[in-house]
Amino acid sequence: MTEPTGTRNHSQGAAGSGTRHRGGSKRDRFSYIFAWELHERLLWFCKLRWLAAAGLALASVLGPYFSMPSTYPSLAVVAALVAIYNLIFVHVLRERLGPEKDYAALRGLAILQMVTDLAALFFTVHFTGGCASPVLPFVVFHMAIGTIMIETRIMYALAFAVSGAAASLFTLEHLGVLAQIPTVAGGQSTVGSCVLSMAMLVVLVFGVVYLTHSVTGRFKERNIELHNTTTELQHALEEQEQLERRKSHYMRISAHQLRSPLGTIKTSIQVLIDGYLDPGSPDGHRLLEGTAARVDSLLAIVNDLLELAKMREGRARAPWAREVSVNQILADIFDAVDPYAREANVELVPHFINEGAAVLDWAVPPDLVYAFENLIHNAIKYSKPGGGTVTVALGIDRTHAMVVVADNGIGIPAALQEDVFLEFVRAPNAKHVQAEGTGLGLSIVREAAQMHGGKVSLESVEGLGTTVTVVLPLHHTPPEIIDR
Amino acid sequence: MARPTLLVADDDPIFVHSVAAVLRTRYHVRTVANGTEALAAVEDDPPDLVILDVMMDHMSEGFDVARTLRSNDATALIPIIILTGVDRVYNLRMEVDESWVPADRYLEKPISPEVLMEMVGELVGPGEAKPGP
Repeated sequence: MTEPTGTRNHSQGAAGSGTRHRGGSKRDRFSYIFAWELHERLLWFCKLRWLAAAGLALASVLGPYFSMPSTYPSLAVVAALVAIYNLIFVHVLRERLGPEKDYAALRGLAILQMVTDLAALFFTVHFTGGCASPVLPFVVFHMAIGTIMIETRIMYALAFAVSGAAASLFTLEHLGVLAQIPTVAGGQSTVGSCVLSMAMLVVLVFGVVYLTHSVTGRFKERNIELHNTTTELQHALEEQEQLERRKSHYMRISAHQLRSPLGTIKTSIQVLIDGYLDPGSPDGHRLLEGTAARVDSLLAIVNDLLELAKMREGRARAPWAREVSVNQILADIFDAVDPYAREANVELVPHFINEGAAVLDWAVPPDLVYAFENLIHNAIKYSKPGGGTVTVALGIDRTHAMVVVADNGIGIPAALQEDVFLEFVRAPNAKHVQAEGTGLGLSIVREAAQMHGGKVSLESVEGLGTTVTVVLPLHHTPPEIIDR
Repeated sequence: MARPTLLVADDDPIFVHSVAAVLRTRYHVRTVANGTEALAAVEDDPPDLVILDVMMDHMSEGFDVARTLRSNDATALIPIIILTGVDRVYNLRMEVDESWVPADRYLEKPISPEVLMEMVGELVGPGEAKPGP
């Protein structure tokens, strides 16, 4: 019983996590997938920033040697500021905000980096000629990079801020509030060229955000789809691998269970062939009888294995698998096992709790018969030596039929009460009472119950008896039958 | 020469019947059905050799009995043959090795009467044929 429960939990867990990605908001999925990537990109951006700081410092110091106006110390101060805040960003990214941290914090840092970089860029623009500055295109470059890294709506907001900042800067410069520093290219900007530059900048800034978003947006969507598909495939693969392991384990156990009696049969035959016992002697005859009994037990195992396999393949026997009366099935089994009960000196007591019949909308009668017969047969077989009582009760309510088989026999040790539902598990006290037994009976009962949408439970006290309860829904039809 | 006494412990009565029929041709044979009975029989009257099935009531009952016999000074020297019905892969881990299975020999089921007699002969001598009727 443990195994399927675990399996069920597992599949629910897998489906649950799949749903989390499929059903979560777009932002959640985005965050989940891109947190690691964003962290990497921010670190890469920090490396670029070292180059930018070095470039600014060099331009400040070496500019005059290349016929450019001196920008020392203004650009050198900007370079130093860039280097200082970059040092802080690197520290935060490496020590405080690893990729395992939440996306929101990383996104916050990305926005902060964008804002500080743009601020540094506008200082540089101011110190290198204002609206005629050759550094101006870097603003556009920044906006493209930002759109790849963070959400577009934030980038549009930044585009407005950038346009506003540029307009303010150029206006303040032309009004003389801020000093107009000659462009490093040497030319003097006019109001007309400045307005044109300003207009170009605004168009470019918004255009680049729009275009970058339209291209990378699709990649982001594909990435999310790819991630979801990969996750689902991984879960499917894990389930498949687990199933294969269980199948392999089951086959090994089954083979061993068949090998064990075969070993005894082969040894017995060899003893007779080698002449250690005369088949005609009483001892030889006893050995032959025992060997024949072992062949019977092998056949019983094979039959049970076949039955279990058929049930597991989800056998759907229409059309006579409809409206099956549990009362009728139990009555038939009573007739069949009665002689065996008498022989074992066991009193078989039917107990129908409610009036009326328990009719299942859909059922496979041979499988239910096989299962209930197994259950009642076991109850008789494991009654105490000398006899006992086996009660078979049927209870019905509006939605379920409940079959309870109770004996006052040898019981099942507490440690084995879950394991006895697994294939080939038999309690030692059961083996002492009955050497023969396939160890598949309760597996079949559980399989049959589950196949009919029901469940089985067991209560037992060693030495006092066992009660097995099978609950079957009255109105259960497997989906594959409904689909027909 | 007296017929050595062998103790056979196996929970399969048909198998025990077969093995006993073979061994009784040259040895005195006692049979038990589980590990507890085997330990009681050894304590009661130590045999010259113990033949133990691995899986009786519990998965490794034969091994447990073998270890108990080896750890007791009074029974440590009794030769042990382990019988097993499990598959060959598992048997490879069971190569006679004191640290793993304290046994002198092991034999895989189904057994050949000839091999069994040879193995027992190596451990306790050839025994003695039953006097004729």
